[in-house]
Amino acid sequence: MTRSAHRLRAHPVADGLDDQAIAAAWAEAEALGGPMLVALRRSAMAMVLTDPRLPDNPIIDINAAFTELTGYAAAAVRGRNCRLLQGPETDRATVAMLAAALREGRAVRAELLNYRADGSSFWNALSLTPVLDALGEPRFYLGTQTDISGARRIGSVETTLRTQARELDVVRERLRLALSVAGAAAAWEWRIPERLVVGDERFAALYGITEAAAAAGISPAAFFAIIHPDDRARIRLAVGGMLRGAEVFSKSYRVVLADGECRWVQARGRSVNDAAGQPDRFLGALVDITEHKRIEEQLRIAQTAGGIGTFEFTYGFATVAVSRHFCDLLGLHPAAELPVATINGLVCPAHRPVVDPVTRAAAGDVTQREFEIERPDNGERRWLTLRGEYLRDTESADLRLSGVIYDITEAKRREAQLRTLNGTLESEVEARTRERDRLWRLSGDPFLVADQAGRWLAANPAWTEVLGWPAASLVGRTSEWLEHPEDAVSTHAALTRGGGESRFEGRLRTAAGDWRWLSWTAVAEGGLLYCVARDITAEKAQALALAEAEARLRQSQKMEAVGQLTGGLAHDFNNLLTGVTASLEMMRTRIAQGRYDALERYIVAAKDAASRAAALTHRLLAFSRRQTLAPKPVEANRLIGGMEDLVRRTMGPEIEITTRLAPGLWLTLCDPHQLENALLNLCINARDAMPGGGRLTIATDNADLGGATARASGLPAGEYVELSVADTGTGMAPDVAARAFDPFFTTKSLGQGTGLGLSMIYGFVKQSGGQVGLVSRPGAGTKVTLLLPRHQGSGPGEAAPAPPVRLPRARPGETVLVVDDEATIRMLVADALRDRGYAVMEAGDGAAALELLREAAAVDLLVSDVGMPGGLNGRQLADAARALRPGLKVLLITGYAEQAVVGEAALAGGIEVMTKPFALDALGLRIRGMMDGPPG
Amino acid sequence: MTLADRMLSPLEHDALTELVNIGVSRAASGLRQMVGGEVLLSVPSIEVVSHKAAAALIGEREGSDLVAVRQDFAGAFGGRALLIFPHGASLDLVRAVVGDLLPDAEARSLEHEALAETGNVILNGCLASMANMLERPVTISLPQVLHGDGATLFQPEPGDDDGLVLFLYINFSVRNRRIRGYIAMLMDLPSLAALKLLVGDFINRVMNDDTVGP
Repeated sequence: MTRSAHRLRAHPVADGLDDQAIAAAWAEAEALGGPMLVALRRSAMAMVLTDPRLPDNPIIDINAAFTELTGYAAAAVRGRNCRLLQGPETDRATVAMLAAALREGRAVRAELLNYRADGSSFWNALSLTPVLDALGEPRFYLGTQTDISGARRIGSVETTLRTQARELDVVRERLRLALSVAGAAAAWEWRIPERLVVGDERFAALYGITEAAAAAGISPAAFFAIIHPDDRARIRLAVGGMLRGAEVFSKSYRVVLADGECRWVQARGRSVNDAAGQPDRFLGALVDITEHKRIEEQLRIAQTAGGIGTFEFTYGFATVAVSRHFCDLLGLHPAAELPVATINGLVCPAHRPVVDPVTRAAAGDVTQREFEIERPDNGERRWLTLRGEYLRDTESADLRLSGVIYDITEAKRREAQLRTLNGTLESEVEARTRERDRLWRLSGDPFLVADQAGRWLAANPAWTEVLGWPAASLVGRTSEWLEHPEDAVSTHAALTRGGGESRFEGRLRTAAGDWRWLSWTAVAEGGLLYCVARDITAEKAQALALAEAEARLRQSQKMEAVGQLTGGLAHDFNNLLTGVTASLEMMRTRIAQGRYDALERYIVAAKDAASRAAALTHRLLAFSRRQTLAPKPVEANRLIGGMEDLVRRTMGPEIEITTRLAPGLWLTLCDPHQLENALLNLCINARDAMPGGGRLTIATDNADLGGATARASGLPAGEYVELSVADTGTGMAPDVAARAFDPFFTTKSLGQGTGLGLSMIYGFVKQSGGQVGLVSRPGAGTKVTLLLPRHQGSGPGEAAPAPPVRLPRARPGETVLVVDDEATIRMLVADALRDRGYAVMEAGDGAAALELLREAAAVDLLVSDVGMPGGLNGRQLADAARALRPGLKVLLITGYAEQAVVGEAALAGGIEVMTKPFALDALGLRIRGMMDGPPG
Repeated sequence: MTLADRMLSPLEHDALTELVNIGVSRAASGLRQMVGGEVLLSVPSIEVVSHKAAAALIGEREGSDLVAVRQDFAGAFGGRALLIFPHGASLDLVRAVVGDLLPDAEARSLEHEALAETGNVILNGCLASMANMLERPVTISLPQVLHGDGATLFQPEPGDDDGLVLFLYINFSVRNRRIRGYIAMLMDLPSLAALKLLVGDFINRVMNDDTVGP
């Protein structure tokens, strides 16, 4: 048969029972059930909490004792119905009775056979109690379980025992009757001097001889002849003793009858002396005790199985006949007889003696009691139950007490636990009150009681430690005199703001004059405010230092990445420059040859190389620009697409780059520059891990994390954007992988890396509400995955391609002054403007430009480079020019968006900035726009 | 009882029990004559244990307040015989011997003497009949009354700490008073070995005695 436990284990665990739900259920149950439930949960009593409002009344949680009893861990039973404990032999009627009680919402108790996780069964004393909500409806069910298998077993053995004891008594009674009335016992008279054994008719029947032969007497040898060979020597010895002066004979032994049947007999006898005191006759009788023996054997088995010790005490005797197990239970050496005083001496004071030789009872009375003993062998205290029956002794006509004892210590212990539970609760409450008082005095955290106006009524000694003010100078007024004037929220204001519970931070002045940051929790109750403050000055300072350090690190990390890039970029740039210069040379050649139709391809090639170089520098500039975290909606695919070029150049030719970008990728909200930085760092790490070349894979995907997966990643369940960078490089050993995110941990040699890359990425991703995962194996590469939360808002806005415009031209007479120390640019700009119909003047530096401005009659617009030698930069030139000609429009062109040089304030006043490199058409448009705009 | 098993075979154990049975029967008859009334003595069990176990056994059962009558014996097997009572039982025995008519104070003053005499009757009867059965003479010293706990009573003599104790549990019934007590025979190993041999002889005699008679 399939064990029920196995069958049930396959049952799916209901979803939705996460730690939060369980904690919430406990909180609710404890609020409804009170401190009793709290104590129960912590007690050694096995218990479950079920929620009848969920389908099938599933288990919400169990306590540790339940696991101990049943072998089921909490995770294995949560979400399942309690019937998982039932099995093939669980009584269906009891289960139905329990179910009915649950339906009616009433408390119920039952004993039923349950099964543990390992399939073993136990008798469970189950108690189900509804925990009622405010409306009196069962909100939870509380089930407590007690293993009563021991008591059950004792109960059943006891029943057997009693039946058998009764049978035994019947047999005994029959024997007694046989002996006394019908003479069922075979009797003999051993005439010692004559060496003859004379028997009665039963003796004759037993020995298979005629009555006459028996009456005439048989020889002692014939007497021993029918005794079983194994018992014969023993009996011969005992008889030998009788013939030599022993007085009492009492033996049981086996006889083998004429038909070969073997019977147990009990023989008793006494010797009678002659006048000289010498043994003369030995009178004896024997009865068949085969049945008696059989029952005795069954009894012995039953007793051993049930852990039951038996005893029999005949009133007037100083000893008690006991079984071996009786001695074991009392911790005594095994013996067949024990003195009454010995047994009673073990009973703890205040309990009645086991055998009371004084108090008499009537035949047929039954006694049952529990008592505690102290075992002499190990000093242990045990609880025992005694059950006894008073019987009339058939031989002495005295009363005898025949009974059993068994150990109930475990049951007692549980009982006591339950009983003390309430007491414990009370003392716990008391202890907690005392604790509170102790807390007030001993706590290192400042405690405060204030009135609703924020006036301090009582402050604990910790205040003096933290602020240095004596408590007396603090109470009686509000905190305003101590507050820091620059705090965003005054402590006093926050305290008196109202509401049930408030938390805030604020600074207070110490007696020494410096400031302490305190984190407050204030609870309003009964018209008073109970507050706990915690000195977080050190934490604040640390946090500040940390933030600064982090910023510095981030910057240095950026610079490191820039450094990493520079080499590759220089090489790239040279290539691009070669493309431009070579194209130009080719153009000149073709022009000299007059082959104008061949110019176009070189123009395209040069333009292409130049625009790629422009893109590179742009990116580099954007990258090195110092940024604080400025989250915006980011399209990761676009971001990756934008930096692919950069990555490709950084990786070198030996590394193959693959991108697997999921179409329809969700938006995420983070700082795009940081994300770029992060990805670039990962790529560089990947490159360094593949010194001999390999494949770099950048991938994106949408990830919808369910409860379990999210929990495993330490994230709340939800939708995430997943970005991963994988390489086919050397990989990491587990110990290295485990430390990969530690700051300053690096496997690179000195000077090659700060070891901050991954830790910075980790910081950034965590700050953005995501998580970083790393999978790596030596020789099998490394994959780093960034999970960033999905952003539900709208995208960053696509920069729509500019519509083709008609190239604007100059109005007649419009004059532009172009200033640049770089002759090439100056010439190009000037030529382009002339092409568009402007009158153009040129100057190589600021001084020359000013000279021209002073002389020339009409200059409508000044175009100047920003960074120029000769003591006058573009900005200064613009100022000077506008001093000469107020309202002169100025366009500054710069290769470097240096706001500090350009000066932000001035930009409004007719000075505009354009970043190099730029398309000449864009320049034309810009100038046209300025010309048409209002005067500066 | 591993010690007993090592010392005596089951048959030897039975034989020794019978020997003791004969002995206490004799003793009972002597006691009967002394008190002029009904005396029953029985030996439910005998054990062979070490000195230490004997002291522990009696301490466990009877506590530390014990009274004992001691007689030393010598011959083919020798040693120390003790008749031990819990303190209360000894007074009961004295009361049973001297009768109920004597005032308490007087009975108490007779306790020592009465105990010594009773002990002598029992131990002497027991030892003498055993010696008789074993067909070896034994000399027995005068009785001595001792008070103390098990450890004191079973303290081995210097030089025989490897000895064993033949421990007999006895029930007395004197004039309808039920009294329990113990007989202990402390013997060194050579004595026990000799006793074992004699017990073997006794068994042989009984077994070969086809006529079964004295």
